Amino acid sequence: MIEVKLHDIGEGMTQADINHYFVKPGDRVKADDPLVEVQTDKMTAEIPSPTAGTVKQIVAEIGATIAVGTTILLIDSEMEELTESKTKSRQDEKKPDAGLSTAKTENTFTYKRILASPYTRKLARDNGIQIESIKGTGPSNRIMDEDIYAAIKTTMPVQEEKPQEPAVKSTSISYKGIRKQIGRKMAESLMTIPHCTHFEEIDVTEMAAMREALKSKGTSLSANVFFIKALSICLQEFPIFNSSLNEKEEVITLHETIHIGMATNTDEGLIVPVLRNANKKSFKQLQEDCKKLTQKALSHSLSLEEIKGSTFTISNVGPLGGSIGATPIINPPEAGLMAFHKTKKRPMVNNRDEIVIRQMMNISFSYDHRIIDGGSAVAFTNRFAELIEEPAILLMELS
Amino acid sequence: MVVGEIIEEREVIIIGGGPGGYNAAIRAAQLGKQVTLIEKKGLGGVCLNEGCIPSKFFAEAAKKRMEIDHFKQFGIKIDQVSFDLTVLHKELNETISALQKGIKKLLLDNGVEIVQGTAFFMTENRIGVENGHTFSVYRFQRAVIAAGCKKNRKTKVDHKRIFDFESIYSIQEIPSSLLVAGSSYLALEAASTFQQLGSDVTLIIEGTDLGLDGSIEKELKRLLKKRKIKLITNARIKEIHTAQSAVIYYTKSGEDKSIEVSHLVYGPALIPATAELGVERIGMKLDQNGFINIDQTGKTSVKDIYAIGDITCGIKNASKAIKQGKVAAEMISGIASEYDESNLPSIIHTIPPISSVGLTEEQARQTFERVKSSTFPLSGLGVSAMSSQKEGIIKLVIDADQELIVGVHMIGQGAVELSSAAVLALEMIARTEDLTFMHYPHPSINEGLLEGFEALAGKAIHLAANKQQHNKTESPSQLQQHEQYNL
Repeated sequence: MIEVKLHDIGEGMTQADINHYFVKPGDRVKADDPLVEVQTDKMTAEIPSPTAGTVKQIVAEIGATIAVGTTILLIDSEMEELTESKTKSRQDEKKPDAGLSTAKTENTFTYKRILASPYTRKLARDNGIQIESIKGTGPSNRIMDEDIYAAIKTTMPVQEEKPQEPAVKSTSISYKGIRKQIGRKMAESLMTIPHCTHFEEIDVTEMAAMREALKSKGTSLSANVFFIKALSICLQEFPIFNSSLNEKEEVITLHETIHIGMATNTDEGLIVPVLRNANKKSFKQLQEDCKKLTQKALSHSLSLEEIKGSTFTISNVGPLGGSIGATPIINPPEAGLMAFHKTKKRPMVNNRDEIVIRQMMNISFSYDHRIIDGGSAVAFTNRFAELIEEPAILLMELS
Repeated sequence: MVVGEIIEEREVIIIGGGPGGYNAAIRAAQLGKQVTLIEKKGLGGVCLNEGCIPSKFFAEAAKKRMEIDHFKQFGIKIDQVSFDLTVLHKELNETISALQKGIKKLLLDNGVEIVQGTAFFMTENRIGVENGHTFSVYRFQRAVIAAGCKKNRKTKVDHKRIFDFESIYSIQEIPSSLLVAGSSYLALEAASTFQQLGSDVTLIIEGTDLGLDGSIEKELKRLLKKRKIKLITNARIKEIHTAQSAVIYYTKSGEDKSIEVSHLVYGPALIPATAELGVERIGMKLDQNGFINIDQTGKTSVKDIYAIGDITCGIKNASKAIKQGKVAAEMISGIASEYDESNLPSIIHTIPPISSVGLTEEQARQTFERVKSSTFPLSGLGVSAMSSQKEGIIKLVIDADQELIVGVHMIGQGAVELSSAAVLALEMIARTEDLTFMHYPHPSINEGLLEGFEALAGKAIHLAANKQQHNKTESPSQLQQHEQYNL
């Protein structure tokens, strides 16, 4: 007779509750047939029969909490009568036993073949998985590598042990629509374009003074209008920054028109309305167009025409406060994107070696390094800085 | 005995230089451990010095002798065949000594320190080694016990008329009549070998069977009869009288009988060498016969001490000890390892040899609901006709529900070599189609395996249709009929 005991099924478990029995006294069972389901505070487990035989007696009651080592039920092994008379037979030898088996199997032939290839068994050992406890999902119930990987996965959270509350509290938001569009475009841009970002600081004191003066005369001009105007001039002088690379066709298209995309933050995410023919518009016209496009963007009323066809994009994050620099992602198929950061009063040293208070703004300028070299980028930002720092020159360049 | 005051520090100590011990030593050294091996007698253990190698040397001689009988069909004529046992002993001793030197060289090449002496545990991490008048104490981080077994001295063995299964191979004359007692592989090998070398052999066993698959056993018994090896079953030896001859008194089915022979060979009970090792003193758990309880990695109940081979519970076998030695060495070196003897081939070097892998048909029927089996006689193979060695069968056992191969048994030429294919099949969880699909060299004994698998589906080419019929049966009732038929 064999006593089937509660053995340590891992996880440092010392006791378990009897959930229910799959067998009753008198039932015939095969080796590895499930006998009883037990539950610990971490898991439920089925205890398999160590041998083929007949269930003799159920010892532990359903619902009872029992300690490791307690006898759960008794089985009469089929082999017992047969083996008593021929204990010398090779197969009847007791298997090595160091308390790992579920029951005493003295002088009993038990079939404990593990249906897993040696490679799979090593995978289990190396990951601390008791392969005896794995149910194979492969052909002929063979234990596959995948079964071991699945077991590794399910045992991991138990080891980390975060009882009751999940480790991360979260709510789901859908990733579709505009968010998904932005995401796809960003990823695509970064995957294909080797970005290089160039930082510069620009003295905007004179520009600010000019805006103040105009304001006092009843005309408001946003900083954006100055930037767009200055950029239009730079882009005409450095046409490579107003271009598109078509790698497949092996051609770089230099755009004659200058359509500026204006990255705009909305409650649904980033949207980029396009200010068309920026180089051909007056300050006043630019001011009006900017305002209109921004309002439309915020109210989600932009037409398809108004959000496509840009040749260069700007992102003015200054009004949002905060950042001193960024690495903007280019809006393909454009060649560059310029971000304007918050303007701050800072002590600067002037031509006469005096420390003076100036209004300084940082810019971050990303460009497509496949078609633009660092030297060109420096020349471009130098020219842009010059036009902003000295608005008189900007006026000079107006056509 | 002078007790040394200096305790020497060692990383890994292995007690015993038999196949288990020296394999463990070399593997641990390969894995970067400083290894010390303690051997009291000769490297190679029982396997090399008394067991496997001498008995297989004799078995090989018997096989060579048998082959001479087939020479004439190839036109080779030998007029006078003589056999000089002294030459055999000389060659055997030279072989043992060469193999021993080889083991020593391997150990030293791997940086293993070899200490001569008798070891015993003083505490859980200290071993004393006695060698003549010198005595040393070692403190170890890990130890592997591979000390093997010794024989029960109460058993009457005089090595003149009465031998055990080791000393019989040091006999100086071929027995004119030999009584072999027992049904173990050692008994079957001794019976087969000495019959071939000229002895009149009688095999006496306690029960009726030899512990093999039914079909294999049937074929073996047929071959024993053919070779005029008498088989006495259900017999128990009562008394042994020796003088000019050996007279053995026994009971057969309750009736007193006797037999007079020139020599007797039998197997004294093996006693684990645990008592003199002092393992009980350190609280090591042993079974009721004194063998060490271990888990599948070789761990004993005492921390950092492993045990392998014959001194542990279970079957006594060199392949087992070798594998366990490697497993223990890997565990010591931080590699997750394990020993599983489910597919350990069991080999008997009789003429012809026997190999057995996995479950016998009888065991399979206790394990699975629907079992299919096939037997293929090797006489059906071209290669058998060619070599004139037509004896033997291949027996295959499958779990019919899963088409899973669960047992491969063979008696016949090539059985030992072919057993690796069977082990591979079982380790890789092969099903019948896996072994039916693959290619087999022609002509070769390998084809017997293919025929056997084809016979499972009634499709063996070189087997009469009516002999395959039973293999097609599926229902349990029909299977039982087949069982009767087959046995």
